[in-house]
Amino acid sequence: MSSAGPPPAARTADAEIRDVRYGTYTGPRRGRGAAVWSLARWGALRSLGARRGWKAKAVPITLILLAVAPAVIVLGVRALFADQTGIDLSDALPFSGYQAIIGVVILLFAGITTPELLCPDRRDGVLQLYFSTAISRGEYLLGRVIGAIGPLLLVTMVPMLVLYVGILVFEEHPVAYLEEHWAELPRIVGAGVILAVYYGMVGLAVSSLTGRRAFAIGGYLLLLVAPTVLSGLLQEAFQGAEELDLVALSTLPIGFAGELFPDARDDIPNSLWEYALAYLVVVGAATVVLLRRYRPGSEA
Amino acid sequence: MRVESSTLTAPLTGGARLIAVDGLVKRFGQVTALDGVSLALDAPATGLLGANGAGKSTLMRLLLGLLRPDEGEVEVLGVDASRDAAEVRRRLGYMPELDCLPLEMTARDLVVHMAELRGLPRRDAVLRASEVLFQVGLEEERSRLIRTFSTGMKQRAKLAQALVHSPELVVLDEPTNGLDPSGREEMLALVRRLSSELGVAVLLSSHVLEDVTRTCDAVVVLRDGRVVTSGRIDEMEGLAGDGVLVRATGDLEAFAGRLEARGLAARRRDGGLAVSGAPEDALLDGVRDAAVDAGVALRELRPAGPTLEDALVDALE
Repeated sequence: MSSAGPPPAARTADAEIRDVRYGTYTGPRRGRGAAVWSLARWGALRSLGARRGWKAKAVPITLILLAVAPAVIVLGVRALFADQTGIDLSDALPFSGYQAIIGVVILLFAGITTPELLCPDRRDGVLQLYFSTAISRGEYLLGRVIGAIGPLLLVTMVPMLVLYVGILVFEEHPVAYLEEHWAELPRIVGAGVILAVYYGMVGLAVSSLTGRRAFAIGGYLLLLVAPTVLSGLLQEAFQGAEELDLVALSTLPIGFAGELFPDARDDIPNSLWEYALAYLVVVGAATVVLLRRYRPGSEA
Repeated sequence: MRVESSTLTAPLTGGARLIAVDGLVKRFGQVTALDGVSLALDAPATGLLGANGAGKSTLMRLLLGLLRPDEGEVEVLGVDASRDAAEVRRRLGYMPELDCLPLEMTARDLVVHMAELRGLPRRDAVLRASEVLFQVGLEEERSRLIRTFSTGMKQRAKLAQALVHSPELVVLDEPTNGLDPSGREEMLALVRRLSSELGVAVLLSSHVLEDVTRTCDAVVVLRDGRVVTSGRIDEMEGLAGDGVLVRATGDLEAFAGRLEARGLAARRRDGGLAVSGAPEDALLDGVRDAAVDAGVALRELRPAGPTLEDALVDALE
């Protein structure tokens, strides 16, 4: 039985024959911004385990799911039971407190992903390959910083956006909710960026000191957790010394970001400006470390 | 012998020299890595020859603009490498000697990524990666992680990334390092093709003379940071006009007589006969016929003039 399909000439071409002989490339060439973007893109993919085995993907994906889980659970409960119980679940998980709930997840996510951006390049000697192209050390660092912050936004900002959109969808009057709560959106974005920049820069700074991922992860956790534990102990000893909260490096940006939400300000010790100053000191120090490690003439 | 300045052949393209270096000095603390190097290179393929520590890698890093000279000027493809290093690096490709490949990437991803870093749009980068991986013989392995590659495959991947953006000049630092004999043969053939078929100028560094003679048209010899000799390889090797040196078993007196009877000059040298007095083809025919007539067996026949190896050994001593 013959096929009833169209004759070959009438079919839409879905394949083409290409000449793969080496020839001179005469096509367009993009600027340095495209090179920075390429570094960011490939770095972000590598940190998330893309194009590698499932083991490399398992931890980042699990942490992302854990970060979104509170939003999904609250929205699910609301969808299933809110009508029967009459409970208003929109206040059960305030945006101002979301990052504090998943703080450990964010801390671990940054600890796992940021070393992937710098350590393999040092370990495998890839830097000499990169710097034999037109990109500068500063552009390399910029690409890696963007590559670190991008994935971090998946755990610092996206879960809150999921919660916001979910609440909006379940509202009886979404437009009214949007009009009343539109100001939460820039706060969510701001809070997400504050945390992503902080954990990303600290993670990269520690990673720049070693070519071994395990050391970078350990050093990062030690750097952030040890002062936090110390701060807690000192606050026990010196009741009311709220300034000590500013040296709790693992929670510092969460307190800073929480200050963006008016409903939480009374519950957070210290002022917005005190947090901002401490935040800038830590991020500035991390930036200095990075720039020094990749300055011309350094081993990098 | 020290050569302060040398010019190798006529310019290749557009009148601009591939590489022009003048009075180059580079010091690392108390160590002077390069000491007044002057060169002008235009040959399609030039070999940079020298022992470890001779200054080859330092010279290459200066050409790439990765180091700044303490004195002197470096011009690559008509661009001042110390002032506009980015432009130089945009136009040339570099294959480092040491391990430099991301082990957790596939060869295809690496080459695409390097093409993007050199400004190619993603679609073009993917197409060029396929072309260049085919050329270096990695098309079957393009989707494998580099950590699973053999040394030879890693060298090919390094070469592929250096070629993907269609450079005018490719700088190869010890491309046969660590390769087994068959891998070395393949790499040398590949390097020779770059300048002879693909139109890419080559600057190759090596401490192996044969690597240079088989792949290059010209050679620069460095020792202790100085150029000791340079020139076209065919001019440095023995010329036909210098005659041939013949070693034979049998009656050498009779052999010499038969050679002279054919109008050739024969004189004793190094246990054999130095024969001259005719163009290359007639000379070789005369030696063959005289050997038959004298009943001697030829054991060795080679140019009587100095070989490239002789010239280089002389230069290094």
